Amino acid sequence: MTAREPVVSLHGVSFAYGAAEVLSDIDLEVRPGEFVALVGPNGSGKSTLLRLLLGLLRPQAGEIELFGGPPDALRSRHRLGYVPQRPGLANDLTASVADVVAAGLLSRGRWWARRPGRQHQAIDRALTAVSLADRRHERIRDLSGGQQQRAFIARALAADPELLVLDEPVAGVDAESQRQFRESLLHLVRERGGTVLLVSHELGAVADVLDRVVVLKRTVRFDGPPAELSGTGVHLGVHDSDLPFWLEQVE
Amino acid sequence: MPYPFDREYMQLALLAGLVVGATAPLIGVYLVQRRLSLLGDGIGHLAFAGVAAGVLADVWPVWTALVVAVVGALSIELLRGRKLASGDLALAIFFYGGIAGGVVLAGAGHALNASLFTYLFGSLLTVDSGDVALVIGIGLAVIATVALLGAALFASALDEEWSRVAGLPVGVLNAVFAVLTAVTIVAAMRVVGILLVSALMVVPVAGAQVIARSQRGVLGWSVAIGMLSVVVGLGVARQWGLAPGGTIVLVAVATFALVAAASRVPVVLR
Repeated sequence: MTAREPVVSLHGVSFAYGAAEVLSDIDLEVRPGEFVALVGPNGSGKSTLLRLLLGLLRPQAGEIELFGGPPDALRSRHRLGYVPQRPGLANDLTASVADVVAAGLLSRGRWWARRPGRQHQAIDRALTAVSLADRRHERIRDLSGGQQQRAFIARALAADPELLVLDEPVAGVDAESQRQFRESLLHLVRERGGTVLLVSHELGAVADVLDRVVVLKRTVRFDGPPAELSGTGVHLGVHDSDLPFWLEQVE
Repeated sequence: MPYPFDREYMQLALLAGLVVGATAPLIGVYLVQRRLSLLGDGIGHLAFAGVAAGVLADVWPVWTALVVAVVGALSIELLRGRKLASGDLALAIFFYGGIAGGVVLAGAGHALNASLFTYLFGSLLTVDSGDVALVIGIGLAVIATVALLGAALFASALDEEWSRVAGLPVGVLNAVFAVLTAVTIVAAMRVVGILLVSALMVVPVAGAQVIARSQRGVLGWSVAIGMLSVVVGLGVARQWGLAPGGTIVLVAVATFALVAAASRVPVVLR
């Protein structure tokens, strides 16, 4: 894979759960350094597409490549950072914020020989990027929902990924955490040359810094800069609430 | 050693109890974090069926218990991992199957007697040096496994899907962990009883979750409470002639109650 080859590419990808086709003939590429949002109404196939490109599902038709190869064959897993939609069992665990972030270092390979809790520099760097450095010794369950989500972003950043994939990261998150979230992603894209694929049904805090918006509803309905999407009558403002409504109308 | 550990049988009981008191909670931390607090008890009931099968077949019951417990633990993990049954439902199926199978097999072998029930409730005051050596061996295996796999077990307890994306072999980790749980229960059941070992896996962790602020803290406090419960429980049992296994567990439960009351944060029971 050369420097400008796509980080993620899907060609003619289709997927069905039984007889119910969820994705049909999807073509999509994400290139290094891009900040791309994948949006769509509930049930549009966003989560399925995400699971396909993460290697958790296999398509029934088409090809998916992650860093130039099949997603489930990716050996250097640290190149991929993932922030899941739900923060797992965080509320049931007694673990510090640093414990959670340290887990992210296991993707660097040789996990059985790693003592991630002792890699303080990497943990501090990741926590600083999400403005949680002063909370590292607190229990994860004592943090607000937004702060917990930032800790999970820090977990994804700890191994210094080239591609960050986020699944609905700002759903139900407070305004301060949304602002911090925006800063963290900008830091990754602009200062570290990283690539971001954000899956969401609301763009909120990052609408004005996106390179591309991809609208999905079983297949790709729009793929282009946010300004072009605005031409369709939808304004992607920071405080705008039109998008979720519009997405429900997409035919 | 001073009273109540002045007799040799008490010293052997103390040694075996301390090893189980230290190692069972190490496994229990990951059970609790996976919301599988009753896995130890479920596997214990399967082990009971294995003991009964051994008695019926005239084979050393520890071997048959080991086979049934390991196969059962892997089967529970398979059902849970493939989402064929939820964690607690998978456990319940094996839990009731194990105890029913044990009773039927023991009845068929005319072995429903006191010696069979020492496997359930233990016989801590009759352990010999061979039992102690077995428990120490398993204890070392548990410590080595936690040292090697602890970080990955924590990560997958936090989020299995994320762990798969990060490249961790979640299925293998779960299987190794299930086998280790089963082996620990079987090794310790004759010494301290199925009741004690499965309780000692979980109850000290409940107390530690209230006190600790980090994963390392949970591990440390769980082991400390487990060992403290053994020392105090054995001493109390000797003094008042109580059943040692049950007394140790009651001390662990009382410790949890004290810790939870002192912190006034019953968050651990949510």
